[in-house]
Amino acid sequence: MSKIQEIATAVENGKTKIVAGLVQEALNEGIAAQEILNVGMIQAMDVVGAKFGRGDIFVPEMLIAAKAMKNGVEVLKPKLAAAGSSSLGKVVIGTVIGDLHDIGKNLVAMMIESAGFEVKDLGVDVPVDKFVEAVDSDSEVKIMAVSALLTTTMPAMKDTVDALNASKNRARFKILVGGAPITQDFANQIKADSYAPDAASAAKAAKALIA
Amino acid sequence: MLTKRQNLLETIRGGNPDRFVNQYEAFMCQPTRYGMIMVNPYVEAYPAITRGGKIKNAWGVTIFWPENVPGAFPMHDDEHKVLKDITEWRKVVKAPPLDFPQKEWDKFKPSLDAIDRNELFATLFNAPGIFEQLHYLMGMDDCLANFYEEPEAMKELINFVTEWQINYATLLCENFRPDALFQHDDWGSHRSSFISPAMFDEFLVPAYKKLYGCYKSKGVELIVHHNDAYSANLVPSMIEMGIDIWQGPVTTNNTPELVKKYGGKISFMGDIDNGIIDRVDWTREVLAAEARRAVTTNGKMYYIPCCTMGGPESSYPGVYEALSEEIDKLSKEMF
Repeated sequence: MSKIQEIATAVENGKTKIVAGLVQEALNEGIAAQEILNVGMIQAMDVVGAKFGRGDIFVPEMLIAAKAMKNGVEVLKPKLAAAGSSSLGKVVIGTVIGDLHDIGKNLVAMMIESAGFEVKDLGVDVPVDKFVEAVDSDSEVKIMAVSALLTTTMPAMKDTVDALNASKNRARFKILVGGAPITQDFANQIKADSYAPDAASAAKAAKALIA
Repeated sequence: MLTKRQNLLETIRGGNPDRFVNQYEAFMCQPTRYGMIMVNPYVEAYPAITRGGKIKNAWGVTIFWPENVPGAFPMHDDEHKVLKDITEWRKVVKAPPLDFPQKEWDKFKPSLDAIDRNELFATLFNAPGIFEQLHYLMGMDDCLANFYEEPEAMKELINFVTEWQINYATLLCENFRPDALFQHDDWGSHRSSFISPAMFDEFLVPAYKKLYGCYKSKGVELIVHHNDAYSANLVPSMIEMGIDIWQGPVTTNNTPELVKKYGGKISFMGDIDNGIIDRVDWTREVLAAEARRAVTTNGKMYYIPCCTMGGPESSYPGVYEALSEEIDKLSKEMF
């Protein structure tokens, strides 16, 4: 098994304690940091996301796979920075005002980050103007990911998406929505660009939005 | 006409109910928010969270309820998280004492004696459940990762929480003689269970077998467990735990199939999603159609038409009551 394959297997299986060591070994062997990241980790997380989507694995397995990847990325960071590698882009995520749910939002953030994006997490109970400010103040933001977990906060999601759609910078970012009561129909109604039913498909949707 | 209690038992035992059990009607025996037995010396000893407030609960968990949010949430930022390292749980987690003078229990006797136990189940309400207690203490992310990374420490903590729950259950049963327990513990999202059936069987089933076994050994006839999530994959485990009624199955579970497969071993109370009927733009037509779909597809046995909400209420005024009226209409039509 190649070193990269070893890393990918360790990430897929959530071996949080050994990934950093394997990544260091791969670097020592002269494998490029970007290749380790793309093939050993991001592709491995794609596999994890697909398994989650099929119901073959559950949240803890996805969580520890992402943790394993994070440990490996820490080792790669200086090399990636030195090589001038860039992420797929910046994603801003948050749960709408009036809603304190963070589990789904955190999982989505984790999977989007694992797919190669830089993620800025605004947290929960985020006012509309904070979402707008986040995108207007940072020209690097490519995706605004908006979460709502309650039927009572669906109107707040609509308000948030309305305000983002009205942004003077609307042309430079996409809007991704999700959460338990949200459907594709609702996403269409409120004029979001994309809808994802779970964390794994959110990562896929984010990639599709910037393709 | 059967009493509400008799009608429920006929429904879950495959007998001869004379109408649909209407949502929570058989459990509403007290003038409390959910109509169940919700107050006792332990509950009274600690501050109750109210909208706009922030409290530290009996286990040291900080609970916050902002004005603009429909419910309270535990706080898990660095400042507030109770258990930051599961291996340190023995030093950090302190179970609240339960040694209350007998007179504190006795003062509830008149309201309990007033319950017509022929008509209704004297039903205890209890929350949070064992799984919820774990993630209240450490946050959901740590909780789920710890099942993998520190399984032994998690089992020890689960055992500690369960033993406390058993002591609490013993006091409740000895003093209140409940007929039914309504226990909250959510085990999944609308799309999947949080953990795999194998992990669930390893960590939570033994704990709940002990807890629900305790309630049943002390005379509780009915265990009703609230979990408004996808958990079709956990139903065999629920049966093993001793759950009589799973309250809260959302439509993604394909409840009619579960009724066919497991009816007689467990019953299902829900399959009418709050996400569909309890919205700002709710209408009687949508709600009536959902109620009709639910009773038509699930049938009359081992199924109780109910919203998936964990109590007899709705987010939007009038929804719960309107659903009850529609279920009554369907009873008149179908029985």
